[in-house]
Amino acid sequence: MSTTQNPPPPVEEPEEPTNRPPALHRATKWLERPYARRIILISGVYVIAILAVLWFAIWVLNSSGGPASGIMAEIATTMIWLTIVASPLMGFTVATLVYSLFGWGRVGGDEPPMQENPDIRTNATAVIAWITATSLLAGFLVVWGLVELAGITAGAYGTVPANKQQGFVAPINVNVTGQQWVWTFEYPDLGKIQSDVLVLPIDRPTYFNVTSNDVVHNFWAVELGIKIDANPGAITNTGVTPNKLGTFNIRCAELCGLHHAYMETKVQVVTQDEFDSWVREMGGGKTL
Amino acid sequence: MKRALFTVLSVVIGVLVVGGSVALFSAGAQEPDPIAAKVVGKAKTPQGELPHAELDLSIYPNSSPAVPPPAVSDRLAQSESESQQWPFYTPSTNLELPAHSLVTIRITQYDSGGQIYNPYLAKVVGTVDGSATYDGEKKTGIDPNTVGHTFTIHQFPESTQPYLYVNIPVPMNGANAPTDANGYPKDPHVIEFSFITGEPGQYIWNCEFPCGTGYVFFGGPMQQRGWMSGTVTVV
Amino acid sequence: MSSATEVMRPEEVPQPKQYGKPGGFLRHTNIITGTVSGIVLAAIAYLVAGALRPPPSDENALALPVGLDPQFAAMYIGWTIGLLLGIGAFDGPLRWFLGHDLTHEDAEYMAGAGQGKWRYFKYTTDHKVVGKQYLVMSLVLLGVGGTLAMMIRTELGITWMEVFNPNVYNSIIGTHGMVMVIAMIIVVSGPIGNFIVPIMIGARDMAFPRLNALSFWLLFAAVPPLVSSLFLGGIRDGWSVYQPLNSQAPVGMLGYQTTIIVFAFSTGIASVNLITTIVTMRARGMTWSRVPIFVYGIIGSSVMGLIWFPMFQYSQILSWSDRVLQSNFFNPAQGGSVWLYENLFWLLGHPEVYVIVIPGTAALMELTTVFVRKPLFSYKLAIAGIFGVVGISGIVWAHHMYMTGFAPSANYPFMLSTELISIPFGFLVLVLLGTIWRGKVWTRLPMMAVYAVVWNKVVGGITGVWLSDVPVDQYMHGSMFVVAHFHFMLMGAALFSAIAAIAYWFPKMTGRYLNERIGSIGFWVAFAGFQLCFGSMFFAGLQGMPRRVLQFDNAFNLSNWLSTIGAYTIGIGTVIFLYAIITSWRGGQTAPMNPWAAQTLEWTVPNPVPLENFKVLPVVTTDPYNYGVPDPYASQVADVGDETSQKVSVS
Repeated sequence: MSTTQNPPPPVEEPEEPTNRPPALHRATKWLERPYARRIILISGVYVIAILAVLWFAIWVLNSSGGPASGIMAEIATTMIWLTIVASPLMGFTVATLVYSLFGWGRVGGDEPPMQENPDIRTNATAVIAWITATSLLAGFLVVWGLVELAGITAGAYGTVPANKQQGFVAPINVNVTGQQWVWTFEYPDLGKIQSDVLVLPIDRPTYFNVTSNDVVHNFWAVELGIKIDANPGAITNTGVTPNKLGTFNIRCAELCGLHHAYMETKVQVVTQDEFDSWVREMGGGKTL
Repeated sequence: MKRALFTVLSVVIGVLVVGGSVALFSAGAQEPDPIAAKVVGKAKTPQGELPHAELDLSIYPNSSPAVPPPAVSDRLAQSESESQQWPFYTPSTNLELPAHSLVTIRITQYDSGGQIYNPYLAKVVGTVDGSATYDGEKKTGIDPNTVGHTFTIHQFPESTQPYLYVNIPVPMNGANAPTDANGYPKDPHVIEFSFITGEPGQYIWNCEFPCGTGYVFFGGPMQQRGWMSGTVTVV
Repeated sequence: MSSATEVMRPEEVPQPKQYGKPGGFLRHTNIITGTVSGIVLAAIAYLVAGALRPPPSDENALALPVGLDPQFAAMYIGWTIGLLLGIGAFDGPLRWFLGHDLTHEDAEYMAGAGQGKWRYFKYTTDHKVVGKQYLVMSLVLLGVGGTLAMMIRTELGITWMEVFNPNVYNSIIGTHGMVMVIAMIIVVSGPIGNFIVPIMIGARDMAFPRLNALSFWLLFAAVPPLVSSLFLGGIRDGWSVYQPLNSQAPVGMLGYQTTIIVFAFSTGIASVNLITTIVTMRARGMTWSRVPIFVYGIIGSSVMGLIWFPMFQYSQILSWSDRVLQSNFFNPAQGGSVWLYENLFWLLGHPEVYVIVIPGTAALMELTTVFVRKPLFSYKLAIAGIFGVVGISGIVWAHHMYMTGFAPSANYPFMLSTELISIPFGFLVLVLLGTIWRGKVWTRLPMMAVYAVVWNKVVGGITGVWLSDVPVDQYMHGSMFVVAHFHFMLMGAALFSAIAAIAYWFPKMTGRYLNERIGSIGFWVAFAGFQLCFGSMFFAGLQGMPRRVLQFDNAFNLSNWLSTIGAYTIGIGTVIFLYAIITSWRGGQTAPMNPWAAQTLEWTVPNPVPLENFKVLPVVTTDPYNYGVPDPYASQVADVGDETSQKVSVS
């Protein structure tokens, strides 16, 4: 009935005596199977495709003018490394699927096909290898994430130097208030001047005290790479050191009612001199 | 063949269902017809001589036989009896302003008020000389404890159009002010302010004074276009 | 006490007295009486509450802020109780209270014996009827949610104007979210879990047939309030309805809260029923190592639903109380906390993802063995994966709250747990890959869905790796990137596996084949549209587009146009697939008892499955994965000492 046949059993060759460890020997033996090599090849192609998409994604990420701070640059670096580390497993998964359709073959038809596939109940080597690989991957993600989060938190809160030449600089405090549907920025140390646009000097750490007058908003300075909820009745903190001149976006990233889509403003990163004259113009007192 | 025909037919039915729902819901909340600012001549401004346009708006504390509520047919709205107690801007909340012009808006305010949460919004921001005329008197801000409403134009999420932010606090009428037959103050506040428009663009405005219902008084009329919020189109 | 241990022949067991015709009161109830009584009671409750409400006046200052909420709350309560009364849900307890115990004839009537098609519109206890009811209900919900999704994409595709008023748009996204979440929670566990699982384990029905009917009719009661809210001011706050924005919304929000409170009861009852059935009613010989893997998936999902759904229910009961009773659980001005709401919400909100994904994935593992004709690879690893996910699912919720600032130091442990859950989830991927490994695939529609799903999981996996990292999430949180990611998981992985499951068990549920040509066209059109729609949405998010906005910067236009084209393509594909389901159900090619030559028990009963499924209860002697022939490589591998490969079963 069926024209398909069992795959021919591999040709048995006499084992050459060897001193290599059995695991490595088994691995090389496995790699001699044609499908193993092809799957690894397809995985490689897929990994390259992922990396190409990653490159495009990073380009898109910075297409609106960023990165404008060390945090944002760090985010891009993280994305690159996490993808590079995760892609081999993803590549292997996709390659197995592709090869199973085009390599191990397929049958159509309405009748259930003959039982002709190998009866593999489990394979300790494969299971152990997979668990090891995914655990190593998860472990890498955890370690990378924890270390980086600690670093970013320290940088954001002004406990590490803004840049190596200047060393520690006193941070500028900014009180950010979200309200349906406008942002207000107050500089408590600079004569309590208030503004609807955030103006920051370049290379100075800035410390934000974020709160809300009504519902939950989310203060997102897009190209600066910082984001924190503005909660009513609580003050949340974040911080950043902008390192690029220009005008960037601030958006609300938490649905806050009728005009949520329109709750936007700008952040202008200017030189220290421009910042000082802006503060004077706004009627601010002492500048730091 | 018949199968294919019916397959296509079911896709058509799907499109009709979606199209019908879109039509139903986009017509479900009619906003007031836009009003355009009238160009009345030329005016000297810090940016040279520009066309000068004017617009009149009024704020009422509630609707009455003399002052009908805004022409909003919002199927998602609260009941009518409740919305009669809502304050609103009239004659329309959708404003059309000419580009590259000096725009003067006069607001006649009949409503009461109280304390505003954010004192910054009791300051005049974004007008030609940073001030507005309150009943004939130039001011750069009002007492945050006696605010009635605000008229706050802010940014549309469009980075290519010029940034526009105008905030005009509108003072409240005292509780003991003499009223007319409909319960509105006989002697309302009149606020006049001017600002300069740039390139054509889309903006949003709303009131920032807590004058609605519900939590922190930002529900009801504050959450519905046509009452205390609307659009500004610079054409 | 000796009489208790006395062995009686079945005919000697004393039967309760038969009162009237079999079925009694239930002979007169059906969906129409239920709906009518629900509407009548809702109207009465609304009017009574309105009459009791103090008139707004200057003296009675408290009366004003209450508004219409108590009236509408009473209306929704009236609807729910009225529907259950009218459908006959309280008949059993009432008869027990009166001492009129159900006779065997009563029970048979309730299971739908001799009632023809009407049994689908009644309080029927037969698990197969309930399964079909669930199937239709989830398809209807998917249709409603899909229509709303098309409306969202229409708004976002027309970038130059507001198609909808902003709060209409906000209502649409909120309703879309919740309708789809409910649909996805029930789409596998409801139809397949109720129809197939009892037969799969060799039982005659569920452990609690009347609770089974109750769980469906509670769901039926829960849906109209949700949809009605669209016309009462809407759910303007997204599906998560964060407080205190919730308190500013019109009365439609009560519809949402009623729905969640009632639906949580429905889910809890269904979960208890499924778990009890599986634990206590397996066929003789079906040990825990012979249970089909899909059954484990259903257990895992039910356990998570049972533990975590009450959290969501509490959050909505407290919100309901804030609105109706003027309490201040979530009002920061009065000492309430918005973070309390967020924590309660996400305590279900994240496990719910696994509630949705696990049964679908387990169904894929089940059907992969059939279409590759190989045993399930590493059955025990699959069980470990399912229960690993179930175990860790409860301690990952706060990764939705990295950016809320409620506890910055908690970001470290939650990042850890989030990344660790990928390990048991990875087990399930290995099981799928291992089952496909070196097999010649029978390329039928259910099997092809496996390929689609694993592809989507890979995309969702890589982007999930990014999102689990706190610093990256600092950029991504609340952006379209998140939307694209969870659609890849919830739609790309879960809904496509649900389609595979429905296609696979369709011949058993309906007695007919699913039309595979039309079905495949629909499926692959939807798949292609899906890649375009959500693939390009990632890039909108990377550019910095926040979610839940209706107007945005021109820079995001291109990706949104592509997304909208993709969404319409999904819509077309879905409609074609739906057409295939409906026509095949009505007049498709009749299927034999076991069209896939599968080995699980549900394929050993005839079509249509008779009442009580089995004439003689089966006895199970092996697990249902005896496919395949001895491995030709085994001898070679054995030479170098791989013991595990020597276990070659002869079949």
